[in-house]
Amino acid sequence: MQLQYFLVLAAALFCIGIYGLITSRNAVRVLMSIELLLNAVNLNLMAFSNFLDSGEIKGQVFGVFVITVAAAEAAVGLAIVLAIYRNRDTVDMEQFNLLKW
Amino acid sequence: MDHFLGTTVWFVPCYTLIGGIISGMWSPGILRRIGPRPAGYANALMTLLAFTHSLFALPGIWNQPPQTLSWTWLDAAGLHLSLDLEISAVSVGAMALVTGLNLLAQIFAVGYMEMDWGWARFYALLGLFEAGICSLILCNSLFFSYVVLEILTLGTYLLVGLWFSQGLVVTGARDAFLTKRVGDLVLLMAVVALLPLAGTWNFTELAQWAQTAQLDPTVATLLGLALIAGPLGKCAQFPLHLWLDEAMEGPLPSTILRNSVVVATGAWVLIKLEPVLALSEIGLAAAVAIGSVTAVGASAIAIAQIDMKRSLSYSVSAYMGLVFIAVGTGQTDTALMLLFAYAVAMALLVMSVGGIVWNNITQDLTQYGGLWSRRPLSGLSFIIGGAGLIALPPFGCFWALLQMADRLWATRPELVAVLLLVNGLSAFSVTREFGLLFAGKTKPMTVRSPEVHWPMVLPMLILAGFALHVPILLWQWQLLPDGLSFNLAAAILLSVSSAIGLGLGAFVYIGDRWEKPVRLGSASLQNFFAYDFYTAKLYKLTIVFAVTIVSRLISWFDRYIVDGFVNLVGLATVFSGQTLKYNVSGQTQFYVLTILFGVATLVTLAIWL
Repeated sequence: MQLQYFLVLAAALFCIGIYGLITSRNAVRVLMSIELLLNAVNLNLMAFSNFLDSGEIKGQVFGVFVITVAAAEAAVGLAIVLAIYRNRDTVDMEQFNLLKW
Repeated sequence: MDHFLGTTVWFVPCYTLIGGIISGMWSPGILRRIGPRPAGYANALMTLLAFTHSLFALPGIWNQPPQTLSWTWLDAAGLHLSLDLEISAVSVGAMALVTGLNLLAQIFAVGYMEMDWGWARFYALLGLFEAGICSLILCNSLFFSYVVLEILTLGTYLLVGLWFSQGLVVTGARDAFLTKRVGDLVLLMAVVALLPLAGTWNFTELAQWAQTAQLDPTVATLLGLALIAGPLGKCAQFPLHLWLDEAMEGPLPSTILRNSVVVATGAWVLIKLEPVLALSEIGLAAAVAIGSVTAVGASAIAIAQIDMKRSLSYSVSAYMGLVFIAVGTGQTDTALMLLFAYAVAMALLVMSVGGIVWNNITQDLTQYGGLWSRRPLSGLSFIIGGAGLIALPPFGCFWALLQMADRLWATRPELVAVLLLVNGLSAFSVTREFGLLFAGKTKPMTVRSPEVHWPMVLPMLILAGFALHVPILLWQWQLLPDGLSFNLAAAILLSVSSAIGLGLGAFVYIGDRWEKPVRLGSASLQNFFAYDFYTAKLYKLTIVFAVTIVSRLISWFDRYIVDGFVNLVGLATVFSGQTLKYNVSGQTQFYVLTILFGVATLVTLAIWL
């Protein structure tokens, strides 16, 4: 078990999240992809705090904060999605292109 | 008193200029409630003042060495422009002649312009002309002579274009301006080139410089040719002669001046430049060649004209050609004498013809006939003018032409032949005009032809009297050969050529012995001369065509290439703005992708570098 494997796994997760973030048509799936990104970041933090800072484990503290903030962000995100849904009756990202040129 | 008048003779141009400015006040747009006549009277008074001044200054300056006056015009970084005046017997005499002729022409115009409202403009321009010619005469600096010549060119444009509601007047004024302008511009090249060579523009100093100057032959030739070009246009010499023909569209009283004096301004400058011209053999030869060609060609054209003003205008070109020949062979004093005698005779001819045009309306010689019994004064004046113009002893031009023939006799016999030919043709031309106007039967246009009223007859008769006195004046001034010391053969030949011309003209045009309208030779030949060698077409096909093509090309290039390039830049910017805005797609996910790409690119670059 080495630090690199964790990092590579986190990067792969991050890339999957990016892919989902950019390609999903459903707004909720976009939020889910953002959660994947945040989890990839948390994985990084955990890995670094284990392998490089096992004494003070500051990464784990960061991780707790990230989870907290991610929960709040997901709540706000879902609220936004609901607000849009109420107006436009859809959660299709491709219908939300009113602010173009 | 004489001394005072002599030193203040430079007031003369100022008087006439003031007269011209005063005349402008009676312009219909300024003084609306009184007629324009005071403009003419004021101007004539100022001219009378100028004439009296120059006349009374003449005895004081006679047989005195020339006085010079000099003012600094501009003194800037190594360039000293001084306005030099020379007060000599010749210049004061010439001013007296110019102001005198102006006075007569202005009185003539009082009669001629009676039914015209444009006195203010007309007299203002006459005043400008008079001032210009007088200052040209006084001026002893090539630079200021050029300045005055240019002002006179502008004056010609305005004066020919007096009645600008007529189409031919507008084209005539245009041609007069442009043709004279071209000559003047080439003269400017010579004027500018002369300063580094000679270091001065003063005519006296130029003459001194020319005596010892060692010039490269090419430079001397180019300089000489350019110096000729200005007078070439001014004097209506081939090939810049069409303007004088078209300038006959202007009012007749100004034609009196133009034919007698204004065209002589070029000759005056040429005479003053003779020492510089003499530096180049080719320059002199060109002057002689141009003069000969013009003299022969124009006198032949004059015979084929049916417009009486134009017929006289080609005689003007012919006599200016003779002046060119005289200058080209170094006879400046003969040239001056010829100019003097010619100016009086030509002014008289134009005045006589002008009076006839005034109340017979047409200018077409073929519409005239049988005026002698009813217009004896005009007829006599015409005869006196014609006699003074050709080499008919003892009248004016005879002596000048005799002196010229005498001097050319041994060295340039071919030029004597030219002289004889021109004289014969001119005699024929004058006789033809006389025959068509005064002899023969009356025609519809001349059935009723009263003599004109006094303002036109008076100056004509005064001038006729003066023309009769020209030989006596020449004798007084000791310009005539003493006793019988002149070249008898030349005198006889000249008289014979005049007699042949007069006789032939009389035979063909006076009486019924020849069928009218006269056909001489083939119709195409007659048309060739009648249409002035088709010069208008020649201009149109060569220089006008070339300039038109080039200007159209340049205009096209400017409009499509130069403007097009600038417009292309603008269009490209507009196009890119219009296209690039589609990057703002409205899709949040696309923005995220863009951010990712940006970050990735930056990171890649950071690693790479």
